[in-house]
Amino acid sequence: MTSQSLQTAGETRIRFAGPAKSQPRRPRVRFDRETTTKVLFVVPAGLFMVLYFGYPVVKNLTMSFQDFTTKTFFTGEAPWIGVQNYVTVISSNLFGPAMLNTALFTIGSILGQFVIGMALAVFFNKKFPLSGFLRAMLLLPWLLPLIVASATWRSILDQDSGILNQFLGTFGIPAVPWLTSPSVALIAVIIVNIWIGIPFNVTLLYGGLQDIPAELYEAGALDGATGWKSFWHITWPNMRPVVSVVLVLGVVYTIKVLDIILGLTNGGPANATQTIAVRSYQESFVNFQFGVGAAFSNILILISLVFAIIYLRANRRAVDE
Amino acid sequence: MATTHLTAPVNHAAAQRMKNIRTRSSTVLGIIFLIIMLFPIYWMINASLQPSGNTLSASFLPLNPSFAGYEKAIADQGKNLVTSLVISLGTVVVTLAIAAPAAYALGQFKFRWISWALLAILIAQMIPGVVIANALYAAYNDLGLLNTYIGLILADATSAIPFAILIMRAFMMSIPPSIIEAARVDGAGQVRAFVSIALPIAKNAIITAALFAFLFSWSDFLFALTLTTTDEIRPVTLGIYQYLGTQVSNWSAVMATAVLSSLPAIVLLVIAQKYIAAGATGGAVK
Amino acid sequence: MNIRTKKHMYKVLALAAVAPFVLSACGGGNASNSGGDASKLTLLDYYNNEPDNTIMKGAIDKCAAEVGVSISREAVPGKDLIQKVLQKSSSKTLPDVLMLDNPDLQQIAATGGLAPLSDFGVDTSGFAKGMLEAGSYQGKVYGLAPTANTLGLFYNKKLLAAAGLKPPTTWAELKTTAKALTKGSQYGVAFSAIATYEGAWQFLPFMWTNGGDETNLDSPQNREALQLWKDLVDSGSASKGVINWSQGDVKDQFMAGKTAMMINGPWQIPALDADKSLEWGSVQVPINKPGQTPVAPLGGEVWTVPQTGNKAKQAKAAEFISCFTKDSTQLSLSEARYTVPTKPALAKEFVAKMPTMESFTEQVANARSRTGKLGDGWPKAATTIYTAIQLALTGKASVGDAFKQAANG
Repeated sequence: MTSQSLQTAGETRIRFAGPAKSQPRRPRVRFDRETTTKVLFVVPAGLFMVLYFGYPVVKNLTMSFQDFTTKTFFTGEAPWIGVQNYVTVISSNLFGPAMLNTALFTIGSILGQFVIGMALAVFFNKKFPLSGFLRAMLLLPWLLPLIVASATWRSILDQDSGILNQFLGTFGIPAVPWLTSPSVALIAVIIVNIWIGIPFNVTLLYGGLQDIPAELYEAGALDGATGWKSFWHITWPNMRPVVSVVLVLGVVYTIKVLDIILGLTNGGPANATQTIAVRSYQESFVNFQFGVGAAFSNILILISLVFAIIYLRANRRAVDE
Repeated sequence: MATTHLTAPVNHAAAQRMKNIRTRSSTVLGIIFLIIMLFPIYWMINASLQPSGNTLSASFLPLNPSFAGYEKAIADQGKNLVTSLVISLGTVVVTLAIAAPAAYALGQFKFRWISWALLAILIAQMIPGVVIANALYAAYNDLGLLNTYIGLILADATSAIPFAILIMRAFMMSIPPSIIEAARVDGAGQVRAFVSIALPIAKNAIITAALFAFLFSWSDFLFALTLTTTDEIRPVTLGIYQYLGTQVSNWSAVMATAVLSSLPAIVLLVIAQKYIAAGATGGAVK
Repeated sequence: MNIRTKKHMYKVLALAAVAPFVLSACGGGNASNSGGDASKLTLLDYYNNEPDNTIMKGAIDKCAAEVGVSISREAVPGKDLIQKVLQKSSSKTLPDVLMLDNPDLQQIAATGGLAPLSDFGVDTSGFAKGMLEAGSYQGKVYGLAPTANTLGLFYNKKLLAAAGLKPPTTWAELKTTAKALTKGSQYGVAFSAIATYEGAWQFLPFMWTNGGDETNLDSPQNREALQLWKDLVDSGSASKGVINWSQGDVKDQFMAGKTAMMINGPWQIPALDADKSLEWGSVQVPINKPGQTPVAPLGGEVWTVPQTGNKAKQAKAAEFISCFTKDSTQLSLSEARYTVPTKPALAKEFVAKMPTMESFTEQVANARSRTGKLGDGWPKAATTIYTAIQLALTGKASVGDAFKQAANG
């Protein structure tokens, strides 16, 4: 699309803007001013990332290959045990169920959050009285501290006295064991996670919708494209970059989700809501096996990585179009 | 949606009435959505007005409200709320300062290593917070950054900066380079083009990123817990734990604090939402 | 891009890739507490909430004045204490006085991070056997506790009187009483069977009273105890919600009148007393067969002296702990916090002042520490216990298989 023009324009610019000392052959000039300024745009971010993320990543990686226990914190000794932690992780009985639950939890949450978020974003796209205020209020679920959100939902989902079952009871539906039945608990946790994630999706998608020029819709309307057609042919293609960021970040964040599961079920009942993130936390901070916990979290990072690479491939293809 | 002015005034009034009904029904629909979405929030407020702090004995409406929780929350948490505000706003500033130029560069410049940079940023987002917190504690302890505002602001920025870069980049990619071109041809330097042209166009992106930076920082608990050892600097997320002991908890105060701490944040968010306006790029192309 | 730029780019990338390794090598601070005068001590505990925060502060300041030191105190939420301890451990900034929940002491002592109290001549005589066991590692005492708590059976006096029932003393009576008191939205009994150490803690009275043990979890006695819980839930006398309730939730249910009896600890008493319309009583946990004694687990926090490398401060810290665990401190703390003094000699005096604590004081005399037999192997056993409970109560495993299955996962 625009990459060609920028390339040639840039090179043209360099040739003209070069000071007297420039000889078109000398590569040194190209690295002066222009590229340096460009690189300087990213240097603060790059520095920040190296300082704040570089060390933890390396530390987490090395920890997963060591026998890291509470003793290590005091003595600093952590014998190298190679891939033994990973073997322990993969051969543990809970690994398979945890992986399955992680997949179900992530897919269920993203689907729910994205679809509802998109629907709400499209709904709020038109201007009507109070729309700005209502949109801001939609962010409330995200404002709540997670401990409060999980406590509130626990009381809502309580089998005996929760308001949800009482509400369903007025329609004759028997009390649903939301958090006490292994078969239902994962669904309950997904519902709560969707609730928490909707504000994120709505806000981002709404921002993306706002950037689509109204003229496109007007032109489309003249051609007869309204309602669903206009969404499919105008809205959706123009939202691609925002949608792909929302989806990939959604996956990365959802895979990590820990506090809400711990707050609602602690990974129970009977390990029905165990995910890789919960396993990682419990191995590290409940069983004090930090090497194993690090191995779990590295597996999580690996899964996220695969997904991210798919995103980047798709992204590059989109740019090249 | 074009209204024609050629028809008689009667039709115009009818069309206007139809439009009013449509927009007003949208408002009603919007309110209904909000009620469904925010019911748990209402339930939390209900719990905060119960003396027991839970809704076991509560009816649907809090007919006998008890403000004990609120009295406690107001007495204890005032300072914490201010601390949270300062830290969150600081995080917004730091995040935008660092992430906006980077997002612009990654979105508009043609570096060959952009894919790698994006990958690195995504990997950064994948790291569990507790891993970063533990590493930061050791570093902050050596550098004397524990119990400082700037320390917490920078730590909270770790959740915000990678995200802000990705989001703002997505928006910045859609800025037509021809606009930047035009500015450069007129003699503007890179920085000038960024500040005077790109930033105003990407207003939506920046406000959205600022919003999330604020929210990430406002709701952060992990860094607040790890990087403070005294009471001096205590964001409200940590302040809530004053009421949650190992064995005994005061849930009405917890809920009351949550309600109270949402208020300033909501005010800021309403203001911010007003600025996410339509068609920021549209007009500029013409 | 030209070769020159490429080379430069690679240099930058190489630097960026190496930097984290360099930083991680430098990582691990070397700030320590050595040096600095011995009259300033640091202290870490988890009494971050009220009223404990103020009560403990008062007691700490009192002993600090007596010993002649000034104490700068850090209080963190309970679930985050160990994380903080580990962070401080690796950055060599452990406090001079460290409070630990007693089941964690063996873990921390095993790291070598604590100093034996005998090094400083602290007198450890007169303390309840179970509490000393909990505070010891490999025969040496590392931590002392001023107060202890345990579990008992609370009952709603009005509800039991209305049904003409007395509080149960055996498991059979527990089942019949609970069944008789289950009507409408009211359950007979409630306990916490949650998937955390709290669930395991609540199960211990039944396990131990019946003669079961944590060294051999898949035993007939343990299975009988598990069967009791399963019967209570299956018969409807206890809510299915118990597998997701913490002890705090159980207390809430009791206070809301949703359950007539509950298994809980004396720390709930201030909340129970705050509701004037609630008349409650407490007895020791019921026994299974005649001749058994009710045995309950020992809760409570121990105070330790970490290895900070500063002998003078450690000596002062040990003095502080001696003051903190002496008779008058034990009594004042116990009265304020509804816990039990750890010196059995004080029991009579204590019950005279606090008659509602009678059953708990008796229980503490027979209480056992969780780590007494397994040491730092307790966390694994606790995980197996609560997993087995969850499997059995949700029907995912039979009572016969539950412990076996739990041990494998």
